[in-house]
Amino acid sequence: MNEQATLKSKEDMTQDDIRNFEIRDYLRLDLFPHFMCPGCGHGIALRALLWAIHAQGIDKDKLAIVSGIGCSGRVGTYIDANTYHTTHGRPLAFATGLKMARPDLHVVVITGDGDCLAIGGNHLIHAARRNLDITCLMLNNEIYGMTGGQVSPTTPADRFTTTTPAGNMEPVFDACRLAEAAGAGYVGREVTIHLPRLRDIIAEGLAYKGFSFIEVMSDCTEVNGRKNDLGSSPEMVLGQTRAMRPSEYDNNVVDHPFRPNSMNTGVLVRSNRPEYGTSYRNMVDKVQALQQKGQK
Amino acid sequence: MTKINKVMKATTQPAVRTAVEKLNPDTAKEPINVLIVGVGGQGVIMVSKVLAQICQNLGYQVKQSEVHGMAKRGGVVFSHVRFGQNVWSPTIPMGKADVLIALEWAEGLRWMNYLRPDTGIFIADTKRIVPPFACRSRILGADIGYSKNTPSDVREKVAEAFAIDATEMATKAGNERAANTLLLGALSTTLSFPDDEWKNVIGKMVPPKTIEVNLAVFDKGQVWINRSRKGEPVEGGAFVPLVQPEINSVRTELSITPEWCKGCDICVKMCPERCLVLNKDQVAELAEPEKCTGCHICEWLCPDFAISLKPIHQEAVA
Amino acid sequence: MTVQQNVAQATPTINLPTINLQGNHACALGAVAAGCRFYAGYPITPSSEVAERLAKELPKVGGVFLQMEDEIASIAATLGASMGGVKAMTATSGPGFSLKQENLGYGMKAEIPCVVVNVMRGGPSTGMPTRPAQGDLMQARWGTHGDHPVVALTPGSVEEIYQQTARAFALSEKLRIPVIVLFDESLGHLEETITLPDVTEYENTIRKWATGKPEDYKPYKADADGVPPMARPGDGYRVHTTGLIVAEGGFPTQKADVVAPVMKRLLDKIEINNDLVESFEDIDCQDAEVVVVALGIVGRSAKKAVRELRQQGIKAGLFRPITLWPFPTKSFRALTKKAKYFVVAEMNAGQLILEIGAAKVDKQSVSGLNRYDGEPISPSLIKQAVKEVLGHE
Ligand code: SF4
Ligand code: SF4
Repeated sequence: MNEQATLKSKEDMTQDDIRNFEIRDYLRLDLFPHFMCPGCGHGIALRALLWAIHAQGIDKDKLAIVSGIGCSGRVGTYIDANTYHTTHGRPLAFATGLKMARPDLHVVVITGDGDCLAIGGNHLIHAARRNLDITCLMLNNEIYGMTGGQVSPTTPADRFTTTTPAGNMEPVFDACRLAEAAGAGYVGREVTIHLPRLRDIIAEGLAYKGFSFIEVMSDCTEVNGRKNDLGSSPEMVLGQTRAMRPSEYDNNVVDHPFRPNSMNTGVLVRSNRPEYGTSYRNMVDKVQALQQKGQK
Repeated sequence: MTKINKVMKATTQPAVRTAVEKLNPDTAKEPINVLIVGVGGQGVIMVSKVLAQICQNLGYQVKQSEVHGMAKRGGVVFSHVRFGQNVWSPTIPMGKADVLIALEWAEGLRWMNYLRPDTGIFIADTKRIVPPFACRSRILGADIGYSKNTPSDVREKVAEAFAIDATEMATKAGNERAANTLLLGALSTTLSFPDDEWKNVIGKMVPPKTIEVNLAVFDKGQVWINRSRKGEPVEGGAFVPLVQPEINSVRTELSITPEWCKGCDICVKMCPERCLVLNKDQVAELAEPEKCTGCHICEWLCPDFAISLKPIHQEAVA
Repeated sequence: MTVQQNVAQATPTINLPTINLQGNHACALGAVAAGCRFYAGYPITPSSEVAERLAKELPKVGGVFLQMEDEIASIAATLGASMGGVKAMTATSGPGFSLKQENLGYGMKAEIPCVVVNVMRGGPSTGMPTRPAQGDLMQARWGTHGDHPVVALTPGSVEEIYQQTARAFALSEKLRIPVIVLFDESLGHLEETITLPDVTEYENTIRKWATGKPEDYKPYKADADGVPPMARPGDGYRVHTTGLIVAEGGFPTQKADVVAPVMKRLLDKIEINNDLVESFEDIDCQDAEVVVVALGIVGRSAKKAVRELRQQGIKAGLFRPITLWPFPTKSFRALTKKAKYFVVAEMNAGQLILEIGAAKVDKQSVSGLNRYDGEPISPSLIKQAVKEVLGHE
């Protein structure tokens, strides 16, 4: 139970790993159709995650999905795996306990902008600092959707929400830079329309030994889109590409659709900081060796 | 990036014209139209500026209008250059371009219908810039999304066609970015302007350090066209078209789970072939199955997992 | 004197070590002895020694010690570890306990075993961090939201801290519920010479794991004891764990006819197992005219007071709940039939007294002896209070 889960590097993933993907193998079909609104980007993000999981050949029995509260928190429910729908803002803390106790599990956290950056902000920075082998997928739809559309830490300036009737005046968080500054070993960001890229970024994050933070720019078509005239569902999805600048995959630097010149997509950080779980277990081995010596 | 097989000997032998008439604004009744197309960052604007400058220097009226495709790197950029005794409209009507210079192969193909069907001259770099995901080939199993037209296909559609591996040649000559000057050399063979004038203007337009290499590749471009017009072998000729792998013959079958569909319209609007519609119950339906290429875009972007595409293997079909 | 403990009778044997131990350290060692292999906590006076001792002990047995970023993360990580199948614990004090309440509620609802220790200090707020109090008795019962059962143990000596912490693990595993251990600063920092009780039986008590075919498994279908077997991740069951009210199959529901039985089972599961849970100490209650009710450190003073009162010919008795929640009401009633007066001695402004008021059957008088100045209640104060209610002096 104590051996650590290992995964394929990007180079080792074959075309077949990626191609033979049937999403329904990974879903709890009796719960469908899911509860999300028409056009909600979270569904696309979920596909990318499951595809990455498939490409990595992760055994569903060994997969633990930990989520918080909000629309993002409900996404995990639909995955046919060990799913934990925990409390608001705390999935990273739950996941930390779970991963430390069960290093053989692949622990993936699904969280949202409010869950991860507002109520759970402290857990994000400390999970990043610890660099424990967890993959954190933050679905950023720039709004509190489930509670009816209140302003969130990533709501762009001047957006109308139910709690900013005159437009948002608060500045936003750049979650990736936050995670990077706090020490996350792997940081990436992608929009949902670039599904294959998103899949690859997640797949690499899953394989990364350490804390991987992936921000998915997702559309909230109902409460965010409608209130701000962001267009129909397809228009919102397309809106993501319009402002994208194509470039080579790995070092692409692309302006964020809603915040020109401030946000990049792609893999933003890859470092080889020590993974906390491994360091901890090494310490345990040393302590136990010393103890045995003492007993002899 | 995907590899593209290239052979270094000429395989494109354009139809040999008996007498090559150069386009001369002094004698032409209408303005001469040169269309320059490419992808952002390649230097389309530089090429058209050089041409426009020469025309100005030689005392012709010139109009140059350019469109940067939404100003994005990698997006479409094109420039219309019209010159002659009198030029009124700044844009070239479809089917009226005398010369089409394409700095990128697929862009060249895309603009081909602007050429005069009887006398148009097509000069294209065989360089391929693969566009981002949304524009890629949507056939299942296609390695890259890219036009499969080969230079010989093109030759049938225009009066004269030249597919030069200009980027490769320029790289060999010492500067990849000089590929557009090489194409200017090729262009110069079609116009009546004196070589000195070309070289003079190019020398002023390019960075001082690269003047030498640019002038060298300008000559190469001229030589390349002249030789290939005579049917002589040339350096950096056209490429062998990409052979699509076996898997491309896989067809797909699309199925929609109506109970899961929430009618968000994403698949309908995102399908590049426009084969899906929302029916009267606001549920997606495959209206034109024969048009479906099996590209998966609808499947991938359906937030409700209502669409699934399954490959039908060739054996099963047969 | 009878001490009822039904999970395992602690029987000290000759071979067990006798050592000097502080209450907080006893808590840590009791946990390890019971099989605790995960601790997550956040420093707070006066419970920090629990964490400090575990930071040393857990690596020796291959366990995990984590100092988390805050109190909330501590209980979240504790629950997370337990979801993975490991016996887990966290410790804190009053203000930290408040912070943990939301997740404690999650643990109750999702039925995740774990142990939460609260070393009580003077409050409210930062209060008197280094002074003892018993101010969190009601917080332990009603601190979190919604309706749910609670199991809280209140040991009264260093030895009992060791033993009851271990027992807390056994109860939490058996009943799939977070179990709270409450003792105050003076016990936590009290160093006594004790004989470590044998807790092998507690150590051997582990939750029921799901067995059988995954297709047939219903995550919240309980056995006769009201406790559903738990699925361990990796065993092939792939269940959904959530704080939402769920049907037996494990998925959320809001249908009243489904919710009602689900909630009823959750609320009843402790009562069904009352024999396991109930524990208290009674000294001469049966024939007592005055019954002193006290717990934790105050129980010790009360014991002395009652003995001395008996020597003086006053029919006094002591009822000391060890399992505070659920309060052993039935046993209390049965034992105190003869009582005419109750004196409830506690280091707060009157919390346990509310429960005694509710538990008594006749029109006995109930008076409180309360102290909330950071000082313990001495035997003489208790004697005085008893004499007062009897009208002596
Ligand atoms: S129906 Fe779907 S798979 Fe077929 S062409 Fe349209 S988007 Fe592609
Ligand atoms: S994308 Fe999916 S949910 Fe939306 S209309 Fe198409 S099939 Fe229906």
